[in-house]
Amino acid sequence: MAAASFAYGPEAALTGIDFTVSPGQAVALIGPNGSGKSTLLKGILGLITRTAGTVEVLGQWPAPAGYIGYVPQTDQLDPHFPVSLEQVVLMGRYRSLGWWRMPARADRRAVTEALETVGLGSRAKTRFGELSGGQQQRGLLARAVASDPRLLLLDEPFNGLDQVNRDALIETVKRLKQQGVAVLVSTHDLDLARAVCESVLLLNGAQVAFGPREEVLTLANVQRAFGSVGVEMDEHTIVVPGHGGH
Amino acid sequence: MDALITAFDLPFMARALLVLVVLSLVAGLVGVLVNLRGLEFISDGLTHAVFPGVAIGFVWGGRDGLFVGALIAALLAAVVLTVIVRRAVTSDAAIAIVFTAMFSVGIIVVSRETNYVGQLDALLFGRLLTVSPAEVNQTVVVCLIALIIVGFTLKEQVFRAFDLEGTAAAGYRPLILDILLNVAIALVVVAASSAVGNLLVLAVLIVPGAVARLVTDRLWLLFPVAAGFAILAAWVGLALGYEASVNGGVDLPSGATVVLVLVAGYVLALVVRLVLDRIGGPRRTRAVAGSAAQ
Repeated sequence: MAAASFAYGPEAALTGIDFTVSPGQAVALIGPNGSGKSTLLKGILGLITRTAGTVEVLGQWPAPAGYIGYVPQTDQLDPHFPVSLEQVVLMGRYRSLGWWRMPARADRRAVTEALETVGLGSRAKTRFGELSGGQQQRGLLARAVASDPRLLLLDEPFNGLDQVNRDALIETVKRLKQQGVAVLVSTHDLDLARAVCESVLLLNGAQVAFGPREEVLTLANVQRAFGSVGVEMDEHTIVVPGHGGH
Repeated sequence: MDALITAFDLPFMARALLVLVVLSLVAGLVGVLVNLRGLEFISDGLTHAVFPGVAIGFVWGGRDGLFVGALIAALLAAVVLTVIVRRAVTSDAAIAIVFTAMFSVGIIVVSRETNYVGQLDALLFGRLLTVSPAEVNQTVVVCLIALIIVGFTLKEQVFRAFDLEGTAAAGYRPLILDILLNVAIALVVVAASSAVGNLLVLAVLIVPGAVARLVTDRLWLLFPVAAGFAILAAWVGLALGYEASVNGGVDLPSGATVVLVLVAGYVLALVVRLVLDRIGGPRRTRAVAGSAAQ
């Protein structure tokens, strides 16, 4: 991605983004609420307008179908939608199936494997909306896994997750990286960044810094991104005054 | 109650039932998607938008023109509608303005006719019992096209209904899916217009899907439940109208009777659902038990 800007309507939402992520590597997107983390992910997905610069996924734009696995925030989904967990995961196979073809045995096997990968094999038949937030998050990750992506985008995957679900999520992401999947994850959580990400992209409506994790996550950089001199940082979290803890 | 069987010995009753059964199958399928997507209001807009097409077609070409006019208006409206909803931030106002305007155009066109009230009545409320064999064929063909459109994209439509961004991320173009679904809705509206009429179409589209949602939360059961319920309501409604007219001396309009049976079925399903939830706790427990038993 080079010098890319994105906009909702006439208003620029995010400008001057310049970074790369390689196969098997992970980049953490860190910035305050409204800094453009989700915007960047949506820009890569082609869901919002790119007003400048270039975006390429494996040298191509738009990204070839099925190259990107996307794990959205679960609170954007209707909890009453009548669909079971395994049906949600199966959606990850639809694109490779093609129009009007019914899932075959290989697809069912991929779904079962993806559910095992995220540790939800026993909940396959449960209605998606009845799962806890953390389980839904892992279910969406399983959907992305089932689609066999080359680039995985995770939008705030740790929001509202307990430690068990966090650990399960981190393990899955690590395993995908070993298989050569590139990962881009937006997060408030430095633990997640430390656990899986080699690089960090700091955002605040524009790119503040990009580079190896320890070089970018300096107090000075973080204060610039969060726009507050009161920002403190320990090894787990960024503490912003009046920002709800994280 | 032998009207349930004997009434359909009469050719015009059999034709009415055939039209409604075909409509029910397709409306069941499309209607569940309307329900899952929450497109009830847009469907309402579409029935209004088709009306000027119906009216202009009728004034120019009589009953044959009616069908062509409706088809053109429906396809046009479906595409315009999809784009409006995409572009506008507050889509409801835009839909309401555009389509009430179009409805008014339809009324004005029809009002130029001499037999204004009779024509308007037929267009708005249908002529289920005077459907001609040619109209049966038209209905079947249009329904078949809608069935093919939605049937071939069904799993993608469900995916899109559940998770718009996920669908786009997977490499689908949601705009295409939306246009296809809206065209299918429009085709159902057209197919149903001459039989149950422009105003009552909405009941055929919306009620079966809503009933299915009350009956089950298992995805692939929704579609047969909706279609089956619609067929049952059509059968009972037609027989009831016939019985009332022939033996009861009350002249019940058949289209409206079918719609009322549909709505009565919905109320019944709603009451049963509420009672079950009251007895067995919230729906969540029932669904968990159901999925564990599979």
